[in-house]
Amino acid sequence: MPNASGEPIRNAGRLELIKRSFPLAMLVLLIVIFSILSPRFLTFSNLLIVLQQGTVLLVAALGMTFVIMAGSIDLSVGSIVAIAALVTAFTSSSLGAAAIIPAITVGAAAGLVNGVLLAKGKVPSFIATMGAMVVYRGIVLLFTRGAPVSIEDEQFLDTYTNRTLGIPHSVIIGLVLTLIAYGIINRTVFGREVRAIGGGERVAILTGIQVARVKIYMYVLLGALCGIAGLLQGARAMAATAQLGEGLELDVIAAVVVGGTPLTGGVGSVVGTVLGVLIITLLSNGMNMTGVDPYLQNIVKGTVLVCAVFVTIDRKKIGIIK
Amino acid sequence: MTLTASNLHKSYGQTRAVNGVSIELRPGTVHAIVGENGAGKSTSLRMLAGAERPDAGEMTLNGARYAPPSVIGAATLGVSLVYQEITINRSLSVAENIFIDRLRMFAGSLGFIDRRRMESVAQAILERIGAQISVSSDTGRLNLGELKCIEIARALSTSPKILLLDESTAYLDHREVQAVLRVIGELKGQGMTIAFVSHHLDEVLAVAQELTILKDGQFVGTYRTSEIAPREIHHRMVGRELAKSIYPPRPAKDPGKTARGPIVLEVSDVAVGRELNNISLDVRAGEILGLAGLKGAGAKALFAAICGDLPLRHGSMKLAGGSYAPSSPTFAWRQGVAHLPGDRNNEGLIAEFSVLDNLVMARPPRHGPVFDRAAAITIAGDLVAQIGIKVQSVDASCRSLSGGNLQKVVIGKCLAVGPRLLLLNNPTRGVDVGARAEIYRIIRQWAAQGLAIILSSEDMPELIGMSDRLLVLRQGYVTHRIETAADATEHDIIGHMA
Repeated sequence: MPNASGEPIRNAGRLELIKRSFPLAMLVLLIVIFSILSPRFLTFSNLLIVLQQGTVLLVAALGMTFVIMAGSIDLSVGSIVAIAALVTAFTSSSLGAAAIIPAITVGAAAGLVNGVLLAKGKVPSFIATMGAMVVYRGIVLLFTRGAPVSIEDEQFLDTYTNRTLGIPHSVIIGLVLTLIAYGIINRTVFGREVRAIGGGERVAILTGIQVARVKIYMYVLLGALCGIAGLLQGARAMAATAQLGEGLELDVIAAVVVGGTPLTGGVGSVVGTVLGVLIITLLSNGMNMTGVDPYLQNIVKGTVLVCAVFVTIDRKKIGIIK
Repeated sequence: MTLTASNLHKSYGQTRAVNGVSIELRPGTVHAIVGENGAGKSTSLRMLAGAERPDAGEMTLNGARYAPPSVIGAATLGVSLVYQEITINRSLSVAENIFIDRLRMFAGSLGFIDRRRMESVAQAILERIGAQISVSSDTGRLNLGELKCIEIARALSTSPKILLLDESTAYLDHREVQAVLRVIGELKGQGMTIAFVSHHLDEVLAVAQELTILKDGQFVGTYRTSEIAPREIHHRMVGRELAKSIYPPRPAKDPGKTARGPIVLEVSDVAVGRELNNISLDVRAGEILGLAGLKGAGAKALFAAICGDLPLRHGSMKLAGGSYAPSSPTFAWRQGVAHLPGDRNNEGLIAEFSVLDNLVMARPPRHGPVFDRAAAITIAGDLVAQIGIKVQSVDASCRSLSGGNLQKVVIGKCLAVGPRLLLLNNPTRGVDVGARAEIYRIIRQWAAQGLAIILSSEDMPELIGMSDRLLVLRQGYVTHRIETAADATEHDIIGHMA
């Protein structure tokens, strides 16, 4: 039996292939199912809507990929997005398109606070950012008193909502940021250091990696990306509201995890995150298009999340599941 | 009870871990299973213990067929296993740890546990094995040797007829090993049948009456320890004649020259935490300075201070003549101080990462912020060739490497930065004889090229064989300085350690 010894390897490889291509397979499956159920689903205009809807999620999820790859978490992204949208609303009337500068600055500052709390204050990221989530949301409520702030500046709205060659500017921004994030994760020393912290923080420290500094940079990066996400969300809604971005952190984390980046750290993929974002967005969009009972939708979303992790998670590498 | 295994086979995927091993454990004997890393020792023992099922082969217990479905199944038949890893939960009491899976035994009528009865039974077992541990001790404060004795007590609490110990002394220091060997000796005196796996021949010869040698998963033979010479055992384990010594010869000394090279590191009156008090030493370029001492004697704290992981409480350091006060490991590495930590898996390298990722982790080649992968491949390839890391490709995951190869990767990571001072904490822990000789060769070779090396080890022959000078530490103080390590004896060193 010349084949007998080769078989297990080939099977293992096949299983690995199934796991790795699972997010893509899931995406294709969703597209097939929804396009059968609704003729309007697979149209150019609907797909553009999906991309637009997904962009805010994507931009935040790119940053979250770094944080999760380092084995940390950030629950405050929804609140940072809300603050950034508010700052955008306040400054767009005078600055126009340049309102992106204060938006990024405020987001990065919020991320800096999170990063310093974690890296210098040694507060676990789950707790530090849970507190930050409430505080940042509180700041938004304090300034808006619960009332929406509208965005009316023509130049601002034109810049961020118009289309070039039929493609919305927000989608182009999302694409460019995806390429940048891909480059940082795969081609820079910083990306490798983030991954090493997630793979073994003690090893990283003793090998001379500046773990505290890398963690702070990583949260600043996520904060800055949330700043852009807040601006795009504000531009789309033409207003900043106190509720903007509420619950976004769960979608962001879900997108990263569904894309195959495990919460245990050390591994991460931008391509996976893009697929995860598309899956989460298509699922909502498709269920609305096909008229799935809105009261049923959360059950489906939660089930899909758990199923995706059930299949893709590499239990050999992680060992103990907590 | 007699436990026999004949012609056992066990494969994991492609790897044949055990390929035709036979062992007979005769009543009342202590039986050692020896061999190099990957010889199949642990796998064989685990099959006897019901932790693994053989793919093929027969096992009998007192003549009846023996096929335990699990470790618990084996224990009910009178065969009890002590794992290699420490499995004590430090937040539970000593007695709770011993009876962890059978606490119900001590439940009263209301379901509450009768602590007093449980503790008296636990204490009786500890006393029976001669372990000097009180059940009221705080498990968080016991040393690894004491924890190992508690595990042996746990295995004995099911009243087994046969006790199986898997590498029980692997993580222990000299004093702790002696405590465990004493317990084994005590049990031997009580007529217990014991089989144990060990890397250390001196331990084997101290307590075992019989030994089985395995090599590459295959059965070599079973011998009476009184009838086989240590050299012969080595020879049969390795399958080739070992050089007279696994330690490379020291470079011939020029009699006219007393000093080796310029002083690289000078430590003056340094104290660190509670572990290290007022130590002074220096190490020169091209020199290997050995540090002997029990765990907690101060070597680890000294390394932590030199590599910037712990602050000095007192004293000062000089590196290459200039003041040296490392504020972080980052600072130390940048100054050319490389550190090989004692805990390979949690501190030395990231096993999920590739060989290349680990090798260039300390100083990744870069163009500004961009990682220079082409340069990294060259660096990693050179290190793999120079150090003799056995790996198909530098992109292979470290998961697939043996202990010796993993340690070579950590050494490679240190050497990749072109260090001037190298701190080695137990560089051959859990490394088999063949890879050890290669690691010694690399260390000696780098010293000859002018690298200053401080070697801390719990392995006495290693310290004597590798060091130029030796310091013995006890409770944070230097108790003995040996100027020519080659002339030192183990007895000499141990006398100043304990």
